[in-house]
Amino acid sequence: MPEPLPSPAEELATEEAREGLPVDAGTREIAAVVAVPGVTAARRRKKPFGIGAWFALGWLVFVIGIALLAPILPLKDPINWSDPALKLQGPQWGHLLGLDQGGHDMLSLLVWGARPSLVIGFGSIAIGFVVGGTFGLIAGYFRGFIGELLGGLFDIMLAIPAVILALAIVAATSASVTENTGSHITNVTIALAIVSVPILGRITRASALSWSDREFVLAARAQGASHFRILWREILPNVLPAMFSIAVLGIAVAIVAEGALAILGAGVNAASTPSWGNIIVGGQSSLSDAGYIVIEASIAIFLTVLSLNHLGDALRARFDVQEARI
Amino acid sequence: MWFRRRKRRSLDSADRFPSAPPDAPLLEVDDARTYFETDRGPVRAVDGVTFSLDRGKTLGIVGESGCGKTVLSRSVMGLLPKHNVIRSGSVKFEGQEIGNWGPDQMRPLWGTQMAMVFQDPMTSLNPVMSIGHQITEPLLYHFDIATGYARELAVALLQSVGIPEPERRLKQYPHELSGGMRQRVMIAIAMACGPKLLFADEPTTALDVTVQAQILDLLQTQQRERYMAMALVTHDLGVVAGRTDDIAVMYAGRLVEKAPTKILFSQPRMPYTEALMASIPKLGDAAHTRLATIPGRPPNLLNPPRGCKFSPRCAYVQDKCRVEEPPLRPGADGKHEFACWFPVGTPEGRAAFESNKKAGLAAVDARLSAETAPVEGVS
Amino acid sequence: MRTFVTKLLRFIVVIIAVTFFSFSLIKLVPGDPVNYIIPFGSGAIKAQLRHDLHLDDPFFVQYWHWLRNFFTGDMGRYYGTSFGGGVSVSNQLWKALPFSLVLIFYAQVLALAIAIPLGVVTAYRAGTKFDGASNAIAFGFLALPSYVLAFFLAIWVAVKWGWLPVSAAGKEISPVTDWQYMILPTISLAAAQVAVYMRLLRSDVVATLREDFITTAQAKGIPNRRILFRHALRPSSLTLLTVAGLNVGALIGGAVVVEVIFELPGMGYALFQAIGAKQYVAMQSYIAVIAIVYVVINFVVDILYSVLDPRIRHARAAA
Repeated sequence: MPEPLPSPAEELATEEAREGLPVDAGTREIAAVVAVPGVTAARRRKKPFGIGAWFALGWLVFVIGIALLAPILPLKDPINWSDPALKLQGPQWGHLLGLDQGGHDMLSLLVWGARPSLVIGFGSIAIGFVVGGTFGLIAGYFRGFIGELLGGLFDIMLAIPAVILALAIVAATSASVTENTGSHITNVTIALAIVSVPILGRITRASALSWSDREFVLAARAQGASHFRILWREILPNVLPAMFSIAVLGIAVAIVAEGALAILGAGVNAASTPSWGNIIVGGQSSLSDAGYIVIEASIAIFLTVLSLNHLGDALRARFDVQEARI
Repeated sequence: MWFRRRKRRSLDSADRFPSAPPDAPLLEVDDARTYFETDRGPVRAVDGVTFSLDRGKTLGIVGESGCGKTVLSRSVMGLLPKHNVIRSGSVKFEGQEIGNWGPDQMRPLWGTQMAMVFQDPMTSLNPVMSIGHQITEPLLYHFDIATGYARELAVALLQSVGIPEPERRLKQYPHELSGGMRQRVMIAIAMACGPKLLFADEPTTALDVTVQAQILDLLQTQQRERYMAMALVTHDLGVVAGRTDDIAVMYAGRLVEKAPTKILFSQPRMPYTEALMASIPKLGDAAHTRLATIPGRPPNLLNPPRGCKFSPRCAYVQDKCRVEEPPLRPGADGKHEFACWFPVGTPEGRAAFESNKKAGLAAVDARLSAETAPVEGVS
Repeated sequence: MRTFVTKLLRFIVVIIAVTFFSFSLIKLVPGDPVNYIIPFGSGAIKAQLRHDLHLDDPFFVQYWHWLRNFFTGDMGRYYGTSFGGGVSVSNQLWKALPFSLVLIFYAQVLALAIAIPLGVVTAYRAGTKFDGASNAIAFGFLALPSYVLAFFLAIWVAVKWGWLPVSAAGKEISPVTDWQYMILPTISLAAAQVAVYMRLLRSDVVATLREDFITTAQAKGIPNRRILFRHALRPSSLTLLTVAGLNVGALIGGAVVVEVIFELPGMGYALFQAIGAKQYVAMQSYIAVIAIVYVVINFVVDILYSVLDPRIRHARAAA
């Protein structure tokens, strides 16, 4: 993913300070304006939380809200209620988003479907963040044998493509996918969490490595601070902001992955629990006459991912600039 | 832009612009100005510069960091960025007005008529292209010659700039060469198409002192052999002493003194020039001589002070200087131009200096410290 | 040379780890895996299978047997009534592998072919409306999962307009000559990659265009188009190529899904069918092969990267 462009004047100024070379103010001024008109102007204006970001936040609040409130909303039961006579009929009065291939109401399917998808998305990344982050911090701070070992472990886990790994874990543990009992949300969440641990761990490790090199860590050690204290008080607060933006972007990936796993037959059990992923799978067979089933669920995923991406980028832009100023 | 094939010129680049009068100077710059548009207003990097340069002559352009000398050389060549730049004034090359030419019009001139040697050879060469490729590229682009011949020319060029084993160098990359050798390669690239005008923008600043003299000698030799006009831009007076025919001193985007080299060094008129000379540590100085500095900082080019731009730091300053900007005008002998109300070495100047000394002006102290004895207590 | 040996050692370690993992999958299955593989077999047949698969032996003995079989080409077979019963896995595998490899290759090539000129041009015209529009579209495609695009393409291009076939189910086709089946899958896979590559290249080229040697090239009289593609692109492309190489892993994941959607008989589709039929033996082999292919590709990219960048090459030689 691309880095935010540092202001050229800032870049030159730090370089000049580092090398003690007199940089012609003319050159500096040239550099300051040689970047593009739009970009430079925007950077000078302290970039406010733009309107796109507000839309993104709004959509996320909305989606999370209706997912949480689903039980008390006046929706038809997505699994048990169905009108087979109306199946595969598009949006109409009383069924604002139409019905699916079994006659279930699409609106309630999508609202209820948000729950597993969001739980899996947030849950898997949360676990991965905590586990991967902790190991990454340790690996980056202690370096040496532990660091190499953990780094190697991460590399091995990363040696299998993520989707394949998740698929394998879910497939093996949910041997009884066609059973009507159980929803396999836990299996999917844990599988995706395992997949995200090395990714988040590696990034945390790199970040912790670079922060551990700074002098304030040395200063803390010289004052007799214990390793734990340094990790908790000095390194973690610096690593955390950048990791947040990665985590937000990761949630988006996890939500997409839930859909992918559903298509591959290793998703949430459709018979007992709808999720955005298995709504798409269900609508697959009626693509030609009732494409709206797949389209509606896809739009739900797309908007959520778009919002999360936007937020993640905005977070990263905010925190990375501060980092560059040090 | 996409597929227009460039008409290749013949190898003989002795043609001139059709309207060029035979005795005119090669380069004539008249009241050139270059302002940069920023959010806080226009930055007046070059604020009215006039000079001319003949073939076979060398002009030294001297000034502190921030005086605009780099912007000046880039402006004359037309190598400025396309956004937020305002240019005015006239730049005539061989009688042809090029001051308002855009990059598309200037491009045939770049490399073939005028060339530039840049300050930092480490970053000015493409790190992932071989030396040979970087030299033959302009040759192959501007002239209708075969690749093998271009390679021979490249070898000859490398030899002429004093690089040993030139054939081997063709395949090497910039990071395999030392700083001095890289600069020689830069010079070879600049010379490749036989330009008439060369800008050397701080060519030795990024190099070791031992290598500096070699590079400057090389530039001088090339200039003489090829009968080029050369503009040597630097902040170091030592670089231009003895190597230039004329010197122009720049401050805050303007020329404040212009004279033949010998005259400038023997009798500077502008206090700034005098201060610059005084700040050069000399071999004959006793140990631990305090370095004479010019107090204060270069002026803000966004909001330059009224009157003479150097007045806040000048040892000769009087009230008139702070109000009225002195124009650049020739002295009695006609060849030495300077912009000062109270020039060095004149009765008015001496009087101004004395009155400032009595008033205890900081600039005077700094100026005098260059002539004081070593600090007490230190042998 | 030393780094190459280190990399080779790591490569071997990773291969072993990956095969170990693939093998252990069968142990994750709750209960007796044989019950899932041949649910309708008699007790005697199940016992026989358990013996054949060494399922009652100690863990590492099982692993050893499996590993030995795997590397001598015996990747197990399908059991029960699926696939005509008893068909060897390696048979299916070697037919399916070319599809996946070709699909990934096409997708990378398509993505790079679009992303490189777009990235360079948007960098050159950074800040203009063209740049803004391209970035916005790229951002949109980044958020679009490849399967959503695949369904979309399937609905419109294949079904509604009938320009291209939807699926290759049941047909014996070749990935190279019957390329019309590959078009929609390739586009679905490539679209998201285009966005990633384009943004990456753009930011690299913008940074490169600020370097001094670009001004040198200008001062030589070289036209802008040439500077863009000959001078600026080369240093900026290193990151892109590394990312493209390492991205193959993501592509493998996406390819699996796309294959299933379009019923393209590649490794992903075969894996999907194996899982659906609970053929865990076959599943182990497919996963192992996919993972090994991924590791090999990453290894090759790593070596290529150090070969291609002259700075690294010389730094190594000097060291």
